[in-house]
Amino acid sequence: MIPARFRHVAPADLGGCVAALAEGGRVLAGGTWVLPEMSRGESAPAQLVDLRRAGLAELTATADGLQMGAMCTYADLLGSGPVAEHAPLLRTMAGGITGGWALRNQATVGGAAMAARPQSDVPAALVACAAVARVAGPRGARDIPAAELFAGAMRPSLAPDEVLAGFRVPSAAGAGSGYVKLKRGGSSWPIATAAAVVRLDAVGLCTEATLVLGGVAAVPVRIDVSALLGRVVVDDDVRAVTAAVADALPEPWGDVLAPASYRAAVAAPVARRALSAAVADAEEERA
Amino acid sequence: MTGEEGRVELRLTVDGAERTASIDPRSLLLDALRDELGAIAPKAGCRTGDCGACTVRVDGAIAKSCLRLAVADDGCEVRTTASMAVGGELTPLQQAFWDTNAFQCGFCLSGMLFAAEDLLERTPSPSETEVREAISGNLCRCTGYDAIVAAVLSCAAPPVRSSRGA
Ligand SMILES: Cc1cc2nc3c(=O)[nH]c(=O)nc-3n(C[C@H](O)[C@H](O)[C@H](O)COP(=O)(O)OP(=O)(O)OC[C@H]3O[C@@H](n4cnc5c(N)ncnc54)[C@H](O)[C@@H]3O)c2cc1C
Repeated sequence: MIPARFRHVAPADLGGCVAALAEGGRVLAGGTWVLPEMSRGESAPAQLVDLRRAGLAELTATADGLQMGAMCTYADLLGSGPVAEHAPLLRTMAGGITGGWALRNQATVGGAAMAARPQSDVPAALVACAAVARVAGPRGARDIPAAELFAGAMRPSLAPDEVLAGFRVPSAAGAGSGYVKLKRGGSSWPIATAAAVVRLDAVGLCTEATLVLGGVAAVPVRIDVSALLGRVVVDDDVRAVTAAVADALPEPWGDVLAPASYRAAVAAPVARRALSAAVADAEEERA
Repeated sequence: MTGEEGRVELRLTVDGAERTASIDPRSLLLDALRDELGAIAPKAGCRTGDCGACTVRVDGAIAKSCLRLAVADDGCEVRTTASMAVGGELTPLQQAFWDTNAFQCGFCLSGMLFAAEDLLERTPSPSETEVREAISGNLCRCTGYDAIVAAVLSCAAPPVRSSRGA
């Protein structure tokens, strides 16, 4: 039983959710994060605006990628053909979420993004995919690139009266991807993650390279790997562009899972493994 | 629908029976099932989604009932492990758990049985790795898991051989 009283509303469309949220309160998506917080008395919103009936779970291929509603669950990602084709990185990420299928059936991508926890898989993966968030609020709708969606630890850049409607994800078909996470044990939270996307042209020259680290700072950290562009990427190149990633961390994140010094120390090897995996995957895509 | 002391009416189909209960709207699905509807197969363990003891099926999908608000599930179809055995006849999966000593205290059974049933529906001949992956997110403090894995594997359908096979 949740200790504090609150009102539960489940509007039938996005406009209704925005109107309801204008009265205050908190959005309820899958509830896997917000309900335990409320049960523990750490959060006591006067109202829960439930998105479940608002039709925000579409997951479809578009002309240039994917349209992914905020209410898509990890299970939706894992079961989707368009995700496998256009955003294999998101599929790999979803396959590593702990808590079992019961959790994957319920926890949403939008909820994980809006929880904006540093020790989480979703934020850095969205940034690496160059996803663009669609946000609705009383002042209208706006787009926010995933790289600008995270203002700080546990702080999305949305206003409290705005609702995340979903994401557009540009297609990564034909590109290679790599996702690596370091965690303490089978069921623990990520300490450090790295998400990489690499595209090679017909002769094997690198035309696109992205590397984003999660878990190691308050918000996802994009690493400059532009030195790979125009080259046939070999191991030494990967080593060279990832050697100094710790220096790119503004302030390494520290918490009960691992102190900041540990995260700074593991950032480079985790980054290197993800980038190597993306290069190998891109070579396979080309073959 | 708000009644006495701000209680609300909840309508659920629980294990095949249509039920209504007057509940406190702050109830989690787990609380409503156990305390208001007498459906006590799901257990209250961690209440944070980590242990899986409260697992049920909601409209067919396995779910941790401690992570759900009961009023948000108004009108849904809920199944607990109590509906697995029909007429006192255990399902092959339940029988395998029994035969393999795959449980002692039984607290984890809702999570383990539903996770295993869900796996076998999707993947009738799972590997050991797939079984371990599927039951992750469910904590057992009695068995050390090996007996559970053995029970699930004993229910795997024989691998389908291609008719053109060797
Ligand atoms: C057992 C367990 C294991 C987990 N394992 C992992 C793991 O391995 N890796 C990992 O990264 N995470 C993991 N998580 C965290 C999980 O990913 C998040 O709890 C989940 O994705 C949050 O989504 P939700 O739909 O449940 O959000 P909710 O709990 O409903 O909401 C989360 C927050 O976001 C806000 N919100 C939600 N949707 C919107 C929206 N559309 N617009 C505006 N605000 C919104 C809510 O108000 C709330 O503040 C785990 C959680 C559990 C319980």
